[in-house]
Amino acid sequence: MSRQRVWDLPTRLFHWSLVGAVITAVVTGKIGGNWIEWHGRSGLFILGLLIFRLIWGFVGSPTARFASFVRGPGAIKAYLKGEWRGIGHNPLGALAVLALLGLAAAQVVSGLFANDDIAFAGPLAQLVSSERSGQITGLHVWLFNGLLAVVGLHVAAITFYARVKRTNLVLPMVTGYQDLSDGMPPVSHPKTSFVLRLAAFIAASAIASAAVYAAAGGFIDEPAPAQTVGQQAAPAW
Amino acid sequence: MKQVKPFLVAVALTVTASAFAQQAPKPEQVIKWRQSVYQVLGWNSNRIKANVDGQFNREEVVRAANSTAAIANSGLGALYLPGTEQGKGWHDTAAKPEIFKDGKKVGELAANFAREANELAKVAVNGDQAAVKAQFGKLGQTCKSCHDDYKVKD
Repeated sequence: MSRQRVWDLPTRLFHWSLVGAVITAVVTGKIGGNWIEWHGRSGLFILGLLIFRLIWGFVGSPTARFASFVRGPGAIKAYLKGEWRGIGHNPLGALAVLALLGLAAAQVVSGLFANDDIAFAGPLAQLVSSERSGQITGLHVWLFNGLLAVVGLHVAAITFYARVKRTNLVLPMVTGYQDLSDGMPPVSHPKTSFVLRLAAFIAASAIASAAVYAAAGGFIDEPAPAQTVGQQAAPAW
Repeated sequence: MKQVKPFLVAVALTVTASAFAQQAPKPEQVIKWRQSVYQVLGWNSNRIKANVDGQFNREEVVRAANSTAAIANSGLGALYLPGTEQGKGWHDTAAKPEIFKDGKKVGELAANFAREANELAKVAVNGDQAAVKAQFGKLGQTCKSCHDDYKVKD
């Protein structure tokens, strides 16, 4: 049985890093206490991953590019009739990818402005009023359910493929290759030169890192905006 | 004399009425008190956090921890009187209706809060910054356990 190349290394790294970071964010967010600091850190890391993936959707290998896997309703209908012959995200799964990326992005961005009403606030919460931060926190809590639902759908689809269609989708996301079923012609999955790919990876990582630095409040001037006090010493009593 | 008596009766009635008013505060007043309590807790939490994350000023931490413990031990349930399920204090109440129904569970959460707050007041006296931070985290978890179930998210 021959193998078909499907996912490039950066896409796979992105995927499993995202899995780990989301689990960390969910668990630490549920535990609370001092673990909330790791909730914030994992959220920032997720933001970096999402920005990386967004860029990789334009400069990555063919299966990673939005232009190749985001298709119209016609392609989705054809897929549902079993007429789709491709590799990577199928036209229906592409919608789930967009929903996952979009909801995850909304979740981390809202988290930047949220607070836990106890002792923790997102790095950009000081840029909005406390009332607004409270509203965004409500959104952050509410969006989590949506994210949970789409992740559940994602896992259910993978289980469906494994049990019913006898296709393992997990292994290719680890190795980068899927087995080619008998009689299926391989799909061309061209690679650019290694140097170009490496350069694209480094550039995308650098942009994502800069965005995370900004989101972590790195560009907010000290002393903090006028909404905070405490610059001057309080009276001794 | 005949005019004075009704006057005295009126005064007595007024005094009695105001005494009754003090015994049964208006829902709005109760909601204001409970909202204010959490504002003070927020103040304390904020300065303990500043001290465990930045420079550690024990005196400041002890003050804030004692204030928190005093509030935790003050019988907060009295601020969740029947009749204050809905309404406006400084703003609309953020208490979910369930907090007025789940008496036993809420009582346990309140006891956890008091226990960890008292422990923090102890640790603040002798513990180092790391110990205070750890206990502060535990205290925060007791805040969260109640917020998660009984506080309305905007």
